Amino acid sequence: MKAIQIIIIATLLYLCGYLVQNESFADEYLTHKSETDTYDLVDFENDLIPIFTKFGCNAGACHGSAAGRGEFKLSLFGGNPSADYTAIVRQLAGRRVNLIHPEQSLVILKPTAQTSHGGGQVLSEDEEAAQLLRKWIQQGALYQSLRQLEHIEISPRKQIVSNLQQPIELHATAIYSDNTSKDVTRWTVFTPEDISAIEIDVSTATAKLNRPGRHIILARYLTEVVPIELIAPINDDNNTNNQKKKEKTHSTSSADTIIDVEIQKLLSILRLPISGSIDDVSFLRRVTLDLTGRIPTTDAVKAFNKNSNTQKREILVDELLESDEFNEYWTLQFAKLLRIGANERNTQGASVYHNWLSNQIRDGVGYDDIARSVILASGDSHEIGPANFYRTVNGPREQAEFMSELFMGVRLRCANCHNHPLDRWTQDDYHGLTAIFAKIEDDQVVKVNPNAEVIHPATREKAVPRIPGDKFLSIDVTDGRDDLVEWLTNPHNPFFAKAIVNRLWKAMMGRGLVEPVDDFRSTNPATHPELLTALTDDFVKHRYDLKQTLRRIALSDVYARSSHALPENKSDDRFYSHALKKTLSPEVLADAISDVIGIPDSYGNEPLGTRAVSLFNPNTESDALDILGRCSRETSCENSDEAIDGLQRKLHLFNGDLLNARIGVQNSRLNKLISDNVTPKKIVTEFYISALSRYPTDSDIAFWQQHIDFNASANSQRTILEDMVWSLLTCNEFVTNH
Amino acid sequence: MDTYKNCDGIHRRDFIRIGGLTALGLGLGDFFLMQRAFADNNTITAKAKSCILIWLDGGPSHLETFDPKPDAPQEVRGPLRTIATNVTGIHISECLEQTAKIMDKFAIIRSMTSPLGEHNLGTQYLMTGYKPTPALEYPAFGATVAYIRSQISQKSNGDALSALPPHIAVPNFTGELSGNGYLPSATRPFSVSKDPKSRDFKVRDLDFYEGIDLTRLSRRKQFVNALNEFSNAKDADSSTTDPELERAYNLITSPEAKSAFSLSEEPHDVRQRYGQGGVNGIGHACLLARRLVERGVPFITVNHAGWDTHQDIFTLKERYPTDQNAHLPSLDRALSALIQDLADRRLLDETLVVVMGEFGRTPKINPQGGRDHWPNVFSVMLAGGGVQGGQIIGSSDALGEFPKERPITPSDLAASIYTLLGIDPSLELHTSDGRPVRIAPDEAKVVSELLA
Repeated sequence: MKAIQIIIIATLLYLCGYLVQNESFADEYLTHKSETDTYDLVDFENDLIPIFTKFGCNAGACHGSAAGRGEFKLSLFGGNPSADYTAIVRQLAGRRVNLIHPEQSLVILKPTAQTSHGGGQVLSEDEEAAQLLRKWIQQGALYQSLRQLEHIEISPRKQIVSNLQQPIELHATAIYSDNTSKDVTRWTVFTPEDISAIEIDVSTATAKLNRPGRHIILARYLTEVVPIELIAPINDDNNTNNQKKKEKTHSTSSADTIIDVEIQKLLSILRLPISGSIDDVSFLRRVTLDLTGRIPTTDAVKAFNKNSNTQKREILVDELLESDEFNEYWTLQFAKLLRIGANERNTQGASVYHNWLSNQIRDGVGYDDIARSVILASGDSHEIGPANFYRTVNGPREQAEFMSELFMGVRLRCANCHNHPLDRWTQDDYHGLTAIFAKIEDDQVVKVNPNAEVIHPATREKAVPRIPGDKFLSIDVTDGRDDLVEWLTNPHNPFFAKAIVNRLWKAMMGRGLVEPVDDFRSTNPATHPELLTALTDDFVKHRYDLKQTLRRIALSDVYARSSHALPENKSDDRFYSHALKKTLSPEVLADAISDVIGIPDSYGNEPLGTRAVSLFNPNTESDALDILGRCSRETSCENSDEAIDGLQRKLHLFNGDLLNARIGVQNSRLNKLISDNVTPKKIVTEFYISALSRYPTDSDIAFWQQHIDFNASANSQRTILEDMVWSLLTCNEFVTNH
Repeated sequence: MDTYKNCDGIHRRDFIRIGGLTALGLGLGDFFLMQRAFADNNTITAKAKSCILIWLDGGPSHLETFDPKPDAPQEVRGPLRTIATNVTGIHISECLEQTAKIMDKFAIIRSMTSPLGEHNLGTQYLMTGYKPTPALEYPAFGATVAYIRSQISQKSNGDALSALPPHIAVPNFTGELSGNGYLPSATRPFSVSKDPKSRDFKVRDLDFYEGIDLTRLSRRKQFVNALNEFSNAKDADSSTTDPELERAYNLITSPEAKSAFSLSEEPHDVRQRYGQGGVNGIGHACLLARRLVERGVPFITVNHAGWDTHQDIFTLKERYPTDQNAHLPSLDRALSALIQDLADRRLLDETLVVVMGEFGRTPKINPQGGRDHWPNVFSVMLAGGGVQGGQIIGSSDALGEFPKERPITPSDLAASIYTLLGIDPSLELHTSDGRPVRIAPDEAKVVSELLA
């Protein structure tokens, strides 16, 4: 059987090339040979593979899964056409194609459901795709690739849609290496990222928006994936007028034009009105929390309120950036990023690592130098902090994933098993980067082992070390980390600076311009790409100075926007028409509670007075952190949705130690005020300032007056004052940065 | 946390991050304002009011439990023997001796089949009825049930639900999924945290703190609500009450509800019957589940770790010559006691009991004497709550490798569980951004033989 087929194929090859005119040869085998001139040949790579993608045959849920489906495996989204050819033409004793009776080929019978097919009917028999398949088999089921796809051009790439009813025509053009092009709209798969927001009519290749906002469609053709951005205004034209709604904003003299202009640009397109600006004490609370992880002290609130210097916000930001509290808090932020202490058994290393990091932050070391130090580190991890970078995760594959998520903001994970379906990453990138890390021994003493290697699962050979997406290194390179670092910290590196700038933006604004922050890819575009680029260029220009970027953000108008939503912008969660409320992180909240109460909490065996933000070990014993939630750092702490059970937390607030054991005890703030015979009204005011960083309003006072006897002695009102403090520490205004 | 760790696999978070196709675009605002297709004529007459899911975490061997193959070669048959049950023709593992005596109350599905042989993926599929996708996390059965029940009680206005959480995990929920998926976090399972078999079993933070009485507790709640209301007055996008605070308050202030957790109220002989001690005991967790069912809790997950038997399958029966609390004997005792107890209290008809894990085990014993993951065919056992007992549904082939007759998917099982609980599996719920999602997938078909 096989022999016959080979003869047939050989014959057909011969025919196609030379004997197009010969009518005499076995007509029954070649019923349509008049079509078989080179221009009409079905091109396996460029004509057939897109069919398998279009109809989902090679998707992960079907034959594209790692194990295939029904003994038939195709490469995911046609990433490997020659393997697909083998699967179709050679495997199953060649039964998938029947050259004598093309219509009896399984590759036609199955998807048209003429024989039983687990996936049901995917093609109807007379459809263009089925016809193309039949024609290809009639022509001899050849592996033809007449030209090489260079890229696809999609239109539109970005469109502002003013009328939701208006269907948007989508077009895809394939551009080939021989400078020819072809309309491939018919074979391009358009997938909305949010199927409830966009409807695609496959027959006409048009999209319709179901609701306003910014929406993404992914266009996939062969290995190319391109995002399409559709933006529809959220409000009617006559409904809002930004200029009119815009309240008088506090403008710092150094108001950041790039940030404010870029943010406003998109808001105007979307016709989203902006909320007003925050007052001075609200700014003080917001920026103190963001830069130092603390709520401002009562003295700071009072002083800032009185301060009449027009430059006081700039002065404040600069003071905060130079404070010890900044260093402590940002050491924690980066310790979470670096996942210091992820390995529970290595507390010695974690301590040294944390100290080292703390020194880098204190000394204002550039972020490029920090990255360089950890990637190039070696030596005894109990003495050399950054060497613990190699003792954080298990093995070179995880190290490659960790490094790329951390320093590049990209996820290589998919490319372990197949080329990344939504991105540029290939298995060569994944295993090439792994090969670099494979040579680093992660015992207590981290050192290079030039002989270590990893196997590339596709080639079954030694993986060649590779800078991801860039270049192969010599197979004999002993330590590829020098090349890696040089590439990474090059000012033109497209990932490194952007990834950290985006994280800094998120820390300040509550949401990354790219979200999730470790998932940069062309198919996940930034909400404000020009802004991200501008901030990144500025960051690089300032020698990767973290404080410089934080300062710019802190002093922008956008940063000082109110968190109070307007009816017209309340649905906005990514365009910064109003500030996003940020839930205080468990460490910050635990410290804030202690600060307001005036009694420190205890953490494991650490000396009393140790703050939660300063702990180097994420597993330090602490009831407070158990209740408020903690990240063990075994996996990344970003995008963590491991919110603890809200009911359990509230039960504990009511009945547990966290608040009850400390509010009114000796030496607590409340007890001191009572002992000093401060009046109940003044005590309320003091706690508003210490917990909420503001003075109580008239209606606040009126409310408390109903419950607390302001004329009585504070001592006689003790229990109700305790309850007042308890409620301040539990209310939403306290537990968020707003 | 769990005494047992399953073999290496994908972490929940890792899975959710793959691809990261999170719904972009603008949310439509408050979930509770969303229009939802909640059918008013949702009137499937169902018997089951509550469900106890006994989750055998790690994937129990179908060959050592509900689908033994006594005629298969030794390397498939395994070390355990087979016994007859009180239903003629039905045989199960020798370790399920007590269960065999009440087989007439159980239905066994022997033709469960799934393509997902990894703990996280399999757990998500079996516990939600949906194959996991990176785009959306689906709610576990208990969350959907809790959600629907709360909607119904809101509609019927007044008919106050028990102060107990509607979705409770004993002792903890699986770490593989959050539980609530796209539903509000209030439907997330409440974990009692401590294992009920421990001598000093107590759910933490249910009792008043020293010096705090009901008056002060109420006052505190009132203050917080007032403060939240003040700060939200200027904000177009906030809800004014804190639902979790209300729930906590209601639970603390209900002695009736709290007494559900007082296992010490149970007579000694009852505790003995369920099985008390031992590292692997599941008896007290089942006993607690019964107490919760008695008080109207709609969904309880009893999570029993340690079924990921890659080594020495025989340890399911006996870990040491004298240990009677190995997994199988413990399950047998607890399960049979639970069913009998529910029947004695006339609760069995309205309580659905489901026994399952995320997949079965490889038919051929591996060189370590264990069995590896095998999702192609496995078994699920159901009882009570409108289930027609005393029957086997579907079958596996001679070696327990693949379904022979009537393949049933986890989606089909989900549709059946929902139907038994009176929830129309074709109902649509909505994600926070307004995307409609059916309670069970489109293709899910109810296993009609299950229904009595």
